[in-house]
Amino acid sequence: MRMSIGKRIFLYVMSVILAIWLIGPILWIVDASFQLDNELFSIPPHWIPHNPTLDNYKYIITRVPPPAYDYDPGQIKMGHKASGEALAAIPALKNSFIVSVATMFLNVAISVLAAYAFSRLKFTGRNTSFSFIMLSRLIPAIAVAIPFFAIIQRLRLLDTHLALILVYLAFTLPFTIWFMTKYFDFMPPDLEDAAMVDGCTRFQALTKAVIPVVAPGIAATGAFAFMNAYSEFLFAVLLTKTMASKTVPVVLSAAAINHDVSYALASTAVVLAIIPPIVFALVFRNYITSGLSMAFGK
Amino acid sequence: MKASAYSAARRRHIYAYLSILPAILIIVLFTVYPVLYNLDLALHKNVLTAPGKHPFTGPKNFVDVLKNPGLIRSFKTTAQFTAVIVVGDVILGILIALLLNEKFLGARVLQVLILIPWAIPVVMAGIIWRWMFAGNVGVINGLLYSLGIIDKYYSFFGNPMTAKMALTVARLWKDVPLATILLLATLQVIPHELYDAAKIDGGGVWAVFRYVTFPFLRPTLTVLLILETLIGFVTFDLVYVMTGGGPADATMLLAWYTYTEIFTHLNLGRGAALAFIIALLTLVMAVFYFWALRSEEIYQ
Repeated sequence: MRMSIGKRIFLYVMSVILAIWLIGPILWIVDASFQLDNELFSIPPHWIPHNPTLDNYKYIITRVPPPAYDYDPGQIKMGHKASGEALAAIPALKNSFIVSVATMFLNVAISVLAAYAFSRLKFTGRNTSFSFIMLSRLIPAIAVAIPFFAIIQRLRLLDTHLALILVYLAFTLPFTIWFMTKYFDFMPPDLEDAAMVDGCTRFQALTKAVIPVVAPGIAATGAFAFMNAYSEFLFAVLLTKTMASKTVPVVLSAAAINHDVSYALASTAVVLAIIPPIVFALVFRNYITSGLSMAFGK
Repeated sequence: MKASAYSAARRRHIYAYLSILPAILIIVLFTVYPVLYNLDLALHKNVLTAPGKHPFTGPKNFVDVLKNPGLIRSFKTTAQFTAVIVVGDVILGILIALLLNEKFLGARVLQVLILIPWAIPVVMAGIIWRWMFAGNVGVINGLLYSLGIIDKYYSFFGNPMTAKMALTVARLWKDVPLATILLLATLQVIPHELYDAAKIDGGGVWAVFRYVTFPFLRPTLTVLLILETLIGFVTFDLVYVMTGGGPADATMLLAWYTYTEIFTHLNLGRGAALAFIIALLTLVMAVFYFWALRSEEIYQ
């Protein structure tokens, strides 16, 4: 059935509006990252930079101030702006990566193991332990902020990557265990039954016969754990103190609430920080959308 | 034979317990212990400015917290914010999903673009929108100025109404994509024959939506309702980077209120009591929603 011209025009107009709403803010922050503060503060703003520059990127990556950042009292440039937070973007990205990747791998290993048992095996206490894990997620993060701090302090893990990894595991596992259990429920047990008849143990059957088949589910689980760990803010701000463990959201939030920050430099830091999750989401697009619709749908 | 069946069951149990042990250990450490710890804190006087003295005070902290008019105000602010984002999330989610369900090139491009706001961490989304609305470098001001709608940059975060609006816009920008993805996945399983049949019966656009599309979307909409309500009650990072609760407490959402109560007044006893109340509130809501979901399933 062909669409009428009127309907076609309407759909395209709506699409353009939607596209501006979805990526307009991102385009603006990218635009800002190619300008210096003196240009960024012009009224009205320069939609296309008059003096596009890579100085912000150079400064953040090399941490050597380019000439444009030299302090010049006569002119509004930017050398006098407090930019420490934005300049910490690269070390913070490294911390974020260590924490998110570790959370991802540990989460996948722990949740696949547990979900397989919950889905396939009958054992005493199965329903109770499953309900317990699910209920644990109903506690809002802010409600356990003080005790989490006390636990991490007592374990002598304040300001370490491990502290964040442990907390993020506790917060992501309930969802991923539930999700993987549901995923295993959909898979017929024929494959692993055959493997076990061939003399494999339960664990070997899981690793050799089952895991290759549920790889899409595992990809969705890993993506979920990574994105959650990468985005988390409350505990990151609570449990880190120095650049030994501060993650990207902590460093950038400090830049955001600093009224004296260099907007150009901070925009550049934001651009660098949002590239990894965007790339991640686009690469794992199919797994994420099918995983999401399976988890929340039927 | 019986003995071997017994040992097989035993082996199965051992395997199962070993499998769930790592998960259970981590979750117990970060659930049971914190709850007990909070309870202990809440029942004692515990002010960081007076360390070392922690007499048992019973329910005093709970009473103090509940008597504080700030809590009621913050609860009202949160309820209002939540209502707006739930309605906005559902309506925008449905409209965008219907657009993306049409068969044309634009829909295929948008199905990719829609993932971008979803993928961006809340803190960074908040920062971007804070600067979009800013009174000095704000591009929204720039746009309104260029179009001649305003003649002077406006301070959105200086006015309670527009500060709330900015927070809502950022929240919806971040959340509507997930709603759209879920609703779109649901739309795609609706059999085409149903639409054709409805058209033959002479149904208009609204009738087709009301009697064919909507019944299919209902379960997903219920899930979204739950998700977005809980988000409204735990929104913390956006307030942190965008408004800091202001101006004049206009954006003092519950999670932010709790945070400032704990970390600015340094009264751990009251903070723990407040945390308990918040947790209980969430639990009640969750139970209510699970009950609603279950009746939804029976209805199916």
